[in-house]
Amino acid sequence: MITRVLGWLAALGLLAGLAAGFGYAPPEAVQGNVQRIMYLHVPSILTAYLAFGLVLIGSIAYLATRRPRWDRLASASAELGVLFTAVTIVSGSIWGKPTWGTWWTWDARLTSTAILLLVYVGYLMLRGLVDDREARGRYAAVVGILATVNIPIVHFSVKWWRALHQPSTILGPEPSPIDPAIGLALFVNWLAFTLLFAYFLSRRIEIARLEES
Amino acid sequence: MPANWGYVIAAYGIAAVALFGYWRHLARRARALTARPRAAVPQRTTPRTTS
Repeated sequence: MITRVLGWLAALGLLAGLAAGFGYAPPEAVQGNVQRIMYLHVPSILTAYLAFGLVLIGSIAYLATRRPRWDRLASASAELGVLFTAVTIVSGSIWGKPTWGTWWTWDARLTSTAILLLVYVGYLMLRGLVDDREARGRYAAVVGILATVNIPIVHFSVKWWRALHQPSTILGPEPSPIDPAIGLALFVNWLAFTLLFAYFLSRRIEIARLEES
Repeated sequence: MPANWGYVIAAYGIAAVALFGYWRHLARRARALTARPRAAVPQRTTPRTTS
C-alpha cells in the first residue's frame, strides 16, 4: 500500500518537475535551454548520494545486528545508487558536449564520479559471487562502508583539484547564487527524484524479501 | 546561444528509458516471484524422542 502511494507520488512529482523545468523556469542567461539538463543531472547525483548513504547505514547496522533486513536495505540502495549515478554521468556527458565542447574529459569531478560508479558496480558483483547469505552480507557490508569514502571525494573534488566542472552551487558553503525560479524548479525535481528513489527502494526490498523466502 | 534542444531531448530520453526500464524490470521480477510455487517446508512425520 505504501509502495503504491509512493509510486503515484513519484509519478506526480516527475510530472510537476517536468512542468517546472520546462514551463516555469526561464532559459539560463548564458547557456540557454541546454541548462535544463540540470533538472535531471543534479537531482540524479543527490539521489545517488542518498542511496550510498543508506548503503553505509545498512552495512553498519548489518555488521552490528546481523539482521538480514539491513543487508537488504544496503543491497537495494547500492543498486539504485548505481542506476542514478549512471543517469548523472550520461546526462552530464550530454550537457558537456554543447557547453564544454566534449562528451568526456578526465576532470577531477568526472573521473571521481566514474570511480564511484565502478566501486558500487564492484559491490554488486561481489554480492553475486558469494552464495552463502551470511558471508555475502558480511563481505558486502565491509565494502559498503569502505566505498563511502568516495562520496566526499566526488563532492569536494572541484575544490581540491583544478577542475573544468563548476563548483557546487547548492551544497556549497556560500548562499546559492541561483535565480529563485531555477532554484524552485531544481527543488521540485529533487523532491520528485527522492520520491522515485523511495518507491524503487520499497519495491526492490520487497523483491529481495521474496527472493530469500 | 543556440537552442540545443537536441541535447536536452537526448538527456531526458535516455534517462526516461533507463528509469522506465528499471521499473519494468522490478515489475517483471516481482510478478515472477509471486507466481512461483513456494518451496515445500519439510515436515517432521514422527515426533523426536530423547531416548
